Amino acid sequence: MFIIQTIILGLCLGFVYALMATGLTLIFGVMRIVNLAHPIFILVGAFAAYYLFVIFGMDPIFAIPLCAATTAILGAITYKLVFEKDAGSQTYSEMTVLLTFGTAMVLDGTLSYLFKNTQRITSPPYATDAIFIGDIFLPTAQLYSGLISIALIVGLGLFLKFSKLGIAIRATSLSRVNAELVGIDVKFVCIFSFVLGCALAGAAGSLVSFVFSFFPAKHWEWIAILMSLVVLGGMGSILGVVISAAILSVMASLVGAFIAPAWSTMVFFVALFVMLLVKPHGMFGKYLE
Amino acid sequence: MDSRKIIPIATLVMLLFFPLIQFFPSVFGDQNYVIHLMLYAFYYMVMTSSWNIIGGYGGFISVGHNAFLCIGAYIAGYYSIMWGVSPFYLILLAGIGAGIFGFFVGLITLRVKGPSFIISSIALIMILRIIFDRWELVGGASGITLPYNSLSVEFSKFPHYYGFLALAIITIYMNWYVRHSKFGLALRAISHDEIRSAVAGINVKYIKVTAFVLSTFFIGCAGAIWADYLTYVRPNIFLIILIAANVVLMVILGGMGTVTGPIVGTIIFIAFNELILSYLGATELNLLFTGLLLVITLLYFPNGIVGTLKNKGKLPRFLDWG
Repeated sequence: MFIIQTIILGLCLGFVYALMATGLTLIFGVMRIVNLAHPIFILVGAFAAYYLFVIFGMDPIFAIPLCAATTAILGAITYKLVFEKDAGSQTYSEMTVLLTFGTAMVLDGTLSYLFKNTQRITSPPYATDAIFIGDIFLPTAQLYSGLISIALIVGLGLFLKFSKLGIAIRATSLSRVNAELVGIDVKFVCIFSFVLGCALAGAAGSLVSFVFSFFPAKHWEWIAILMSLVVLGGMGSILGVVISAAILSVMASLVGAFIAPAWSTMVFFVALFVMLLVKPHGMFGKYLE
Repeated sequence: MDSRKIIPIATLVMLLFFPLIQFFPSVFGDQNYVIHLMLYAFYYMVMTSSWNIIGGYGGFISVGHNAFLCIGAYIAGYYSIMWGVSPFYLILLAGIGAGIFGFFVGLITLRVKGPSFIISSIALIMILRIIFDRWELVGGASGITLPYNSLSVEFSKFPHYYGFLALAIITIYMNWYVRHSKFGLALRAISHDEIRSAVAGINVKYIKVTAFVLSTFFIGCAGAIWADYLTYVRPNIFLIILIAANVVLMVILGGMGTVTGPIVGTIIFIAFNELILSYLGATELNLLFTGLLLVITLLYFPNGIVGTLKNKGKLPRFLDWG
């Protein structure tokens, strides 16, 4: 029973991680930018949810659109200021990674200056509640966040699969030149997918705000976890991210339950190194150079 | 002799005799803080110059190079307590330890280039942080505490000053040597295109891993002296991403893939940092301005100071070491 409970909890957390990482993998797929500033956008979303909850008493789940809008606006500003120049090139460049690294530092410094590095968590009524199914004990916070995450990811998948803009995004991530040839406005697709990725980060942040306790410097840990998921899933593949997040998160939960909670995040990092050793280009992804 | 030789040699002689002003407190006052700043600059010069070997010439941007600093510091700290000797005798051991660790890490992570490599270097810090926070043999999260040295306060920084100065000179020489050797040529070829380099008959894996080991060796050596200087080795001091971020920023500010770039970048960055500290105090704003400087440098002059001046043909001759 205990094992089943751990696996379900791990799976819920895994879906949250997957939602956190989908924006990252979407931005990489379209723009070839490894956005190290992504987790700090998640934190911005979490802070927005926290203050909406504390000041207006707004439920974090209903605050998702507002948080997403906040990070989307911030993302659009960042794109205009920082990435517009480099978005034109279709190859990956080291310099853009460092640019996002610098952006992350700027936002981290701003957040820690404004809010100080203390642990925060939003506490809606369901955050401390639990459901019992037989002997299985399920905290509602994890359950809700996992379900909403998977719903959002499925929504994103449907959007990419069937809508016209979604098809344009997929075409651009396959080949930018060919997308331009068939008349897709690549520039607009780039900025749209960057903003969409940031909005997903904000939505994830709102869910994260009642699942994990957070503080501004936390994003360095998240970037390593999220990037290990993205590398493992094959850069740019959303399905790959969801699968690797589910597998690794369940493993991490099992390690946390049976060895020690402190070692559980180690699973992600060790998995990254094992992956680099065995199959450097990811499980589900195409070759990247 | 031209200015190319005179100015560096004159600077070197001045640096050699500079701490001696501590013998005349009546004339110069107590300049311990200036000595601290200078040895801090030498310490970062060791790191930036050795980072430049793999990051600048090889094109492998590591934002986790302080992992090797930490390994060196822990080796020196642990064995100096166990054997009762000063960490200064253990510099070589620390360097070799970090080099061996770097060899195994390099074998794994240098297989990939680009984003995966950067992420693996961040993940390396995270892994070491988790391990060292819980490793009881080396003191867990509270780390190792080392004894103070027996010198009186005004001379207590002398060993570290000369230690870091010597190490910085060796590292900068190594950087220069790599820049002008066949080995460095192969390394720079690899940074452009690995497959073509392999076709041209370069042993890609050997060159990459050797460069990585070389760069980690010097950082490990610096870790030993830095441990003795701080008198403690703790995971939350050595394993923070800000150190590596500073190193990367300094090299980019000065100019990646040049010999004098890391030196210039280090000096300017530390001066800039002191300015912020003295006007704004040690707040989180420090991180903000570091990031802002990195973004502005990358956006407007990605070749760094030395690189940009060199492209315009305005680089002073004494800074033009190739």
